[in-house]
Amino acid sequence: MNKKLHTIYIASFFIVGISSTLLLVINGYQYYNTPLLTRFFNPQDILLKPSGFIGQGLGVLGSLMMILGVAIYMIRKRVRYFLHFGYLKNWLELHIFLCTLGPIFVLFHTAFKFGGLVAVSFWSMTAVVLSGIVGRFLYVQIPHTIQGQIIGMDELNAQNENLSHQLKEVYNLPTRIFEEIEQISSLKRHNSPKLKIGIAFLIKDFFGTKSVIHNLKHELALAEVPKSKRKSIAKIVKTKLIFSRRIGLLKTMQKFFRYWHVVHLPFAILMFVIMFIHIAVTVAFGYRWIF
Amino acid sequence: MILFSYTSNVHAQISPGNLTFAHANLEGLSNCTKCHVLGKQLENSRCLACHTEINAMINQNKGFHSSLGVKNKKCWECHSEHHGRAFRIINFSPDNFDHSITGFALDGEHSQIKCQECHQDKFISNSLFKKRKDTYLGLSTKCVSCHQDVHQNTLGNNCSSCHNTIKFKPAALFNHNSDAKFKLTGAHSKVECIKCHINEKLNGKQFQKFVGLQFKNCTPCHQDVHKRQFGENCIRCHNVESFKEMNRNSFDHSKTRFPLEGAHLRVSCTNCHGKDLLSKPKFTECIDCHKDAHFGEFTVNNIVTDCKKCHNVISFKTTLFTLAEHNKEGFRLTGAHLAVSCQSCHFKKVLRQWHFMKIGERCIDCHENVHGVELTQKFMPDNKCESCHVTESWRTINFNHNITGFKLLGKHDSVSCNSCHEVKNEAGKFTFRFVSLHSNCTTCHNDIHFGQFNSEKIKKVSVCENCHGFDNWRPVNFDHEKTNFPLKGAHEKVSCFSCHKKITKNGNVFIQYKLRDFKCATCHA
Repeated sequence: MNKKLHTIYIASFFIVGISSTLLLVINGYQYYNTPLLTRFFNPQDILLKPSGFIGQGLGVLGSLMMILGVAIYMIRKRVRYFLHFGYLKNWLELHIFLCTLGPIFVLFHTAFKFGGLVAVSFWSMTAVVLSGIVGRFLYVQIPHTIQGQIIGMDELNAQNENLSHQLKEVYNLPTRIFEEIEQISSLKRHNSPKLKIGIAFLIKDFFGTKSVIHNLKHELALAEVPKSKRKSIAKIVKTKLIFSRRIGLLKTMQKFFRYWHVVHLPFAILMFVIMFIHIAVTVAFGYRWIF
Repeated sequence: MILFSYTSNVHAQISPGNLTFAHANLEGLSNCTKCHVLGKQLENSRCLACHTEINAMINQNKGFHSSLGVKNKKCWECHSEHHGRAFRIINFSPDNFDHSITGFALDGEHSQIKCQECHQDKFISNSLFKKRKDTYLGLSTKCVSCHQDVHQNTLGNNCSSCHNTIKFKPAALFNHNSDAKFKLTGAHSKVECIKCHINEKLNGKQFQKFVGLQFKNCTPCHQDVHKRQFGENCIRCHNVESFKEMNRNSFDHSKTRFPLEGAHLRVSCTNCHGKDLLSKPKFTECIDCHKDAHFGEFTVNNIVTDCKKCHNVISFKTTLFTLAEHNKEGFRLTGAHLAVSCQSCHFKKVLRQWHFMKIGERCIDCHENVHGVELTQKFMPDNKCESCHVTESWRTINFNHNITGFKLLGKHDSVSCNSCHEVKNEAGKFTFRFVSLHSNCTTCHNDIHFGQFNSEKIKKVSVCENCHGFDNWRPVNFDHEKTNFPLKGAHEKVSCFSCHKKITKNGNVFIQYKLRDFKCATCHA
């Protein structure tokens, strides 16, 4: 998948996701805002209630999306036969899309009424989604190949060296500035902190990097570096800083990611178990939607 | 698991929400199928299995749940569940509820009252609903289920056949003429109901009686003011328009001893029989009913002359007293009196009364003496006009003029009396002069000689008879020989006017007959 196709791929997710959500909000805003005790008397109740045509349809669709989203990602990731079936990154993006929009549909299926055993499933789903967002952030912190394989420390150092070389040799960065960059991106500053400190550092460094890049651009301008080069230099420096941070926090993040799995997966399992119970009960009582 | 235990509805398990208070006893996993049918969602049969009272009403095709728009609905379409304890499973709004679909439309006064005025325990007849709190079921559509039967079941229970819902009184739908055996005719239609249907007590309660009233005859309602004197068949004489208006078609007065004739036919019964018609008047004499309009003039020795002698029943003013009878009574009507109306003599205009007796028989009792002092006792003794006049005509005079000392000779005998006796007075009106009229010729005639022949004894009085007679104006009594100038010779053949010429003296033109100067030269040149 080239870059353009990938952009279309991601954009279509955004467009479908956002427009679906907006459509549901606009259509049902008045109904969902109606207090639960009087909602039955709202004219939209017959369609938007959890057992209504649209309401139940959202439930069915949302559930299918979640099942599909989880299934395809798990299969791609764990079944040997599919290990080279497209980039894992793209499958992850599809997983995120389906498992974000699916819960949104389920949310509207509930009509914002949370009760009974199925509520456990809902809140599990919520936990899975929220942990998924965190997981997505952690995932980014651990450098992977495009196939999803974790890049080793040696290779990371080599890539970092390569960036330093580009700055010095290709862009002829002034020595004063180069040395300052090297100092800022020194791996010594990380020293594999513990989980709590690591997260705090991560957040601090995220905003610190932005400040550094801003100051760098100012310095480059003073040093009369051509404008066309300034942008490239800033990009390389930013990559270098992130690289150094990731290298520095790699162990911490890898440890954190293991913990994350403990949260994300069980909630997903709990959600699916209760969801299937809910579906089974619903079908048993004759609420089969269009089927 | 933390979230699982955190959920407030753990005990509700797979329930999508709390049931209402009414169904709270059905909470719990084991109770789901009491309402839900596996594979078939919800069915009315499950609801109606518990709500037997509704089921019974539907089976009887009665009430709101049997109405057209409701009957074929699913229960859950109106009565949803699992929305929490406080959810209004019966979303009833008294202000917006269309009561007509219950089979009992609220109209008239019913539309103005509050629900609770009817929907009360005491009005619920169905024992299934009697003890239920806040129920709107169980009322009968019969009026008596809410309203007291003031007729105490004497009129059945179909109240709406007479009453509408707007007002209980009067019974607007009741038509006495079509719904009752007794038709309201005439004055009956204007009488208030209470006049016939009186209030009485029944079972210790105030009660207006509408059935069981006797109406074969009038006396159950009307007082018999005749005290059964005329029997019970009132309509023989009366009709329904008015008690006082006799039923002339059925009452035949001619069968009584006093048949009504003439003007009596037009007289109101009460005029003779009194206001209550109880009076049985005497009818032998007219004055038994009528006032004596003649003020006793015809009462002789306390016996009133029978009115029939002069009047009949057609009209009081039409008299039967003929001229022949008038002439027998003393004052004979002759001449012009025959053509005169009675009132000319008998109606006294000042008193405006008729008088027939003692009105006098002399002319001056009726006529005015227009002559006054002009006729003395000699000519009109005892004011008797008939000494000159007759009844045929006022102007026909029967008078011997010779007794006046002025004989009517010659032409005087043929002239009308007025020529001499009717003169204009100073006011220009004609008056009669008799005794004040002089016998001198110049009283009536003009002296064309302007005093030439005035008497020497009585100045200013001409002595016409010396020359003139009474047949014409020729001077038949004149003899020229007896004058101071006898005519002789040629003077005998000369025309009078040769010597007696016209002269003008004091503005008067006349022929001078009295000549003083007899000299020849006076006439001859």
